Amino acid sequence: MDCYTANWNPLGDSAFYRKYELYSMDWDLKDELRDCLVAAAPYGGPIALLRNPWRKEKAASMRPVLEIYSASGIPLASLLWKSGPVVSLGWSAEEELLCVQEDGAVLVYGLHGDFRRHFSMGNEVLQNRVLDAQIFHTEFGSGVAILTGAHRFTLSANVGDLKLRRMPEVPGLQSAPSCWTTLCHDRVTHILLAVGPELYLLDHATCSTVTPPGLAPGVSSFLQMAVSFTYRHLALFTDTGYIWMGPASLKEKLCEFNCNIRAPPKQMVWCSRPRSKERAVVVAWEKRLMVVGDAPESIQFVLDEDSYLVPELDGVRIFSRSTHEFLHEVPVASEEIFKIASMAPGALLLEAQKEYEKESQKADEYLREIQELGQLTQAVQQCIEAAGHEHRPDMQKSLLRAASFGKCFLDRFPPDSFVHMCQDLRVLNAVRDYHIGIPLTYSQYKQLTIQVLLDRLVLRRLYPLAIQICEYLRLPEVRGVSRILAHWACYKVQQKDVSDEDVARAINQKLGDTPGVSYSDIAARAYGCGRTELAIKLLEYEPRSGEQVPLLLKMKRSKLALSKAIESGDTDLVFTVLLHLKNELNRGDFFMTLRNQPMALSLYRQFCKHQELETLKDLYNQDDNHQELGSFHIRASYAAEERIEGRVAALQTAADAFYKAKNEFAAKATEDQMRLLRLQRRLEDELGGQFLDLSLHDTVTTLILGGHNKRAEQLARDFRIPDKRLWWLKLTSLANLEDWEELEKFSKSKKSPIGYLPFVEICVKQHNKYEAKKYTSRVAPEQKVKALLLVGDVAQAADVAIEHRNEAELSLVLSHCTGATDGATADKIQRARAQAQKK
Amino acid sequence: MAFPHRLDAPELPDFSMLKRLARDQLIYLLEQLPGRKDLFIEADLMSPLDRIANVSILKQHEVDKLYKVENKPALSSSEQLCFLVRPRIKNMRYIANLVNADKTAGRTRKYKVIFSPQKFYACEMVLEEEGIYGDVSCDEWAFSLLPLDVDLLSMELPEFFRDYFLEGDQRWINTVAQALHLLSTLYGPFPNCYGIGRCAKMSYELWKKLEDEEDSESKGRRPEIGHIFLLDRDMDFVTALCSQVVYEGLVDDTFRIKCGSVDFGPEVTSSDKSLKVLLNAEDKVFSEIRNEHFSNVFGFLSQKARNLQAQYDRRRGMDIKQMKNFVSQELKGLKQEHRLLSLRLIPKDYRSLKTQYLQSYGPEHLLTFSNLRRAGLLTEQAPGDTLTAMESKVSKLVTDKAAGKITDAFSSLAKRSNFRAISKKLNLIPRVDGEYDLKVPRDMAYVFSGAYVPLSCRIIEQVLERRSWQGLDEVVRLLNCIEFAFTDITKEDKASSESLRLILVVFLGGCTFSEISALRFLGREKGYRFIFLTTAITNSARLMEAMSEVKA
Repeated sequence: MDCYTANWNPLGDSAFYRKYELYSMDWDLKDELRDCLVAAAPYGGPIALLRNPWRKEKAASMRPVLEIYSASGIPLASLLWKSGPVVSLGWSAEEELLCVQEDGAVLVYGLHGDFRRHFSMGNEVLQNRVLDAQIFHTEFGSGVAILTGAHRFTLSANVGDLKLRRMPEVPGLQSAPSCWTTLCHDRVTHILLAVGPELYLLDHATCSTVTPPGLAPGVSSFLQMAVSFTYRHLALFTDTGYIWMGPASLKEKLCEFNCNIRAPPKQMVWCSRPRSKERAVVVAWEKRLMVVGDAPESIQFVLDEDSYLVPELDGVRIFSRSTHEFLHEVPVASEEIFKIASMAPGALLLEAQKEYEKESQKADEYLREIQELGQLTQAVQQCIEAAGHEHRPDMQKSLLRAASFGKCFLDRFPPDSFVHMCQDLRVLNAVRDYHIGIPLTYSQYKQLTIQVLLDRLVLRRLYPLAIQICEYLRLPEVRGVSRILAHWACYKVQQKDVSDEDVARAINQKLGDTPGVSYSDIAARAYGCGRTELAIKLLEYEPRSGEQVPLLLKMKRSKLALSKAIESGDTDLVFTVLLHLKNELNRGDFFMTLRNQPMALSLYRQFCKHQELETLKDLYNQDDNHQELGSFHIRASYAAEERIEGRVAALQTAADAFYKAKNEFAAKATEDQMRLLRLQRRLEDELGGQFLDLSLHDTVTTLILGGHNKRAEQLARDFRIPDKRLWWLKLTSLANLEDWEELEKFSKSKKSPIGYLPFVEICVKQHNKYEAKKYTSRVAPEQKVKALLLVGDVAQAADVAIEHRNEAELSLVLSHCTGATDGATADKIQRARAQAQKK
Repeated sequence: MAFPHRLDAPELPDFSMLKRLARDQLIYLLEQLPGRKDLFIEADLMSPLDRIANVSILKQHEVDKLYKVENKPALSSSEQLCFLVRPRIKNMRYIANLVNADKTAGRTRKYKVIFSPQKFYACEMVLEEEGIYGDVSCDEWAFSLLPLDVDLLSMELPEFFRDYFLEGDQRWINTVAQALHLLSTLYGPFPNCYGIGRCAKMSYELWKKLEDEEDSESKGRRPEIGHIFLLDRDMDFVTALCSQVVYEGLVDDTFRIKCGSVDFGPEVTSSDKSLKVLLNAEDKVFSEIRNEHFSNVFGFLSQKARNLQAQYDRRRGMDIKQMKNFVSQELKGLKQEHRLLSLRLIPKDYRSLKTQYLQSYGPEHLLTFSNLRRAGLLTEQAPGDTLTAMESKVSKLVTDKAAGKITDAFSSLAKRSNFRAISKKLNLIPRVDGEYDLKVPRDMAYVFSGAYVPLSCRIIEQVLERRSWQGLDEVVRLLNCIEFAFTDITKEDKASSESLRLILVVFLGGCTFSEISALRFLGREKGYRFIFLTTAITNSARLMEAMSEVKA
């Protein structure tokens, strides 16, 4: 522990920088890094190497090899490059490798060397070729900027949503810029380029000259420029050996450093951590590495090997043939604790804990010291924080042990920060492992989030580790384990050497009914790989029919989709499939399909009834459903047709259909209706008024009301209306007209088939007792009492009842004896009753 | 007398929550169209809407004017139009016409269509075909359960009956499943499920699927309602077609109860204005007589009126006068009914009856007959068949004021659906020794004057008694429902004994007030309490109307 700060290098008075080894690389590099195009993804991402045979004037007969390694040097992919010359490589935010070809085509590969897609940067680029290219990251995603042979820039800020933008021309530009970079702020991408002593800033519309304030004079060229990870700062390396540092806006100068080296550096990158005041850049030459900041002295390292710098959020990764190191500013908490002779609370606590382990009383002294200053909480926090920044597990442990020790003396210290730090470190140590090779720092991990880290593990097909992490962190299944299993399954379906049955079974065994797993997504992937049968098998496991159907449709298994939709009970789904089928199949096949699916058929019929009447007819026709066809035409006769001829024709068709359906009754009724329609039409012509659409009885009634008795009778004969019905119709019509004279004549025309009680009733209903009385005498004897009571002749009713000797009638009359005048009648009835009983 | 609950009767769950949910959702949807707007409401939705949110609530959420969706051009001048409709193609055409007219006139407005209770793909397709899909925004108001009373939930979907039982259209099944799902989310799972009928089975299965898909928290909940029973209307058309003689059923048959309230026209109120009366358990007098046989009602009411008159001031007296008036008017109607009931039905020559029916009501009823046949309500039979004594006893209760068509339909129905055998098996026509005292009913038959126990209710009673369909195989076979009778009992120790005495009965295709009264009676006898969920309240006239073909 004595030498803990041995690798700390002070820069100025206030900051230390340290460099430590992440991995010793055991990749078997065939070529020197300097001979390759190199791209390393940030956040401990993979490294891509492409030996560049086009740079040297060698014959292009030998095809180069594109190799992809993890950050720890484990080979992930290796493929023979068969496309055109590549100018630049870069990783997108999704860890896809973008290879920019000389002709402006960008080929996109996955982490495992699987070709994903390609796109072109436009015709202008194709014509003028690519001179240089950069891949950059913005809040929109990953962008590509291209410098063409015509010294013009074309860029796309997001390759996921490709929109090419051609940047304005730099006036009078004859040669390629000595260096250039992309700058992003306020959601706009700019290009900064250096030509001789001039700096130009290009935005979407304009080109402006900019001058870094306070730049030492005598610059005739800028050799290198670097933007910080967050685009906030800019550094310029001049041919006078000066390094100028300032904000990216170039509004002011931060500092300037003369490194006395005029040779152009190989790489220059920023090295700063978020929320730190310190700014520094790391400059690399062939054999030398220099950390330069706002201090008179720089930190210098000797490079034994050909090295490559990867800027990170909080430092710089440096890898070479044999090692992979991390260089960063020592975080505050670590500095406070470990700085020589530090009296910071964290430092004391760490000391106290060590003494405690040695069972020394000094432990108490240290602890007391912290407590007297009231800084124990701060001490614990410091230790927890510092543990996060340690790479070595033993250091993490001793700091956490100190924190845990200090916690014991605190009453109310919220445990979350300690617990979370332990969990985070466990996850970090797992992914930093050599076999996994993702050397994330704590700050990077927090920036990246656990979800993205899991995605990246999935991308590397490290499913078991991802699942273990989910389980360890107790992530909800839907976001955690299920999602990963689903990804695994999507990968599994791509294994072409395994049979459909085995893949489906393996997937179902592992996934089971895990909530949140969508079998249809996996099936969609299988279909995407051309394994339709497997997709169908997988869909069988999908419990939600609604999810099965769209994919089945896509796979052109419409009939299966239809039965699945019907199974689901969701009529909307059935309908979707129906419309699909309707477009896909010819009419005959479509109808045949419907025929076997009654549920779908009735649904479609319902729709046709409202929207497509003709189709409905065709449906019935196909089924030889004459009964329904008849009904269809009947409906058409009053709903669709306007003209009388059309209506009669519709009815005729209906009648024919009913005959075919052997429904003679309906056929006859329909024919009657045809006759009636024609007749009503004639009546309207001859008599005026409204007859059409009246029912037969209403027609008769209307005729009587209009005084056309003859016609009414003729009509009744023609349509064989029963006599009784005709009498009823006539009776009610005449009473409604209050044509009492005609009614009386009618009553005498012949013997009424309905008797005469209805005459009495209807007159009473019309409040005409006088007329009613005229008919009482003709009422049949068994109804006479009732009739007399109706007209209010209680006395006579009593007489008739007594004459009939009918007990029921007597009671009925008696119940009507309410008025004072009926007293005598009531007595009479009582007497008659008594007499009857005597007998 | 009347309807005192047993002291040990279990408490009913609070269903007013459903109203609040519906109201909040509607307000949310209205707010989605900020600013002043005119609201077009489909006629069928007006009464249910009124029970959820009154005009002042609508006004509070910037609804300017209210229009009825009808076949007339709209005169709204608002810049924003909102349509509240059932998912029907007819409505889509109405909206399309309106929007297209605006387009022709070069007018741009905002349109929003709110479908209740859900939207159907077919509707969206019509909007698309009419070329206005992009002009309107669509939303769903998942208002599927209206609490009409403390123990009665209605989906207010009368078209369910025709759509499913006549046209074979299953689209509402999803709505039913959603509604059941909502109930189980709010009131906990149902440990015991029973059902009979194809639609019941499909609804049940779809509902269970919904529950499975959602990793719901309701799984761990304590059940509030111990049993659920789903029943298709076509299991028992007979009961629904009978004239009703319990008070509430009678009022429904005579005046038509709409959405829990009834409009008494001037001829009843004996004033110029018509009177709207809300009929539910909150009305003390009504709740005492609603389940009574009508012959008891008058005596009870006059007694009550005397008591009331003695107690209340004049203002209250007015109400009582109105009430008396109403009752006497009502009884006038009843006497007529009675007369109808006592009419012996003589079998007629079916053909000539049908001919005459067409001659007097119009040829479109040819389609009505065809509908009746399709729904299994009518089978043609050879003329001259006579009704057996038992059938005539049952058909005594059957009447259809619209026409005499049912009698034939009914007698043949009885034949076809094995009604005779079922009624023997389940003892639906109790043997009456002496007079049946309607004041002190002894079984559910009291709702039909002691002559007939409603088949639907008897089935429910039997299954609940057995906790399964065991021993009812013969009945199930006679109902042609071997595949569609199901029981699903979860061993649930979380269910309290209280909840196990609550039973939710779901009538798919509608239920009548007589059935409700009968089950309330059964509950009282057995110490259960029934909760009713129906697609709509129905009666014989409504059933027949659903089958009738009407000229547009």
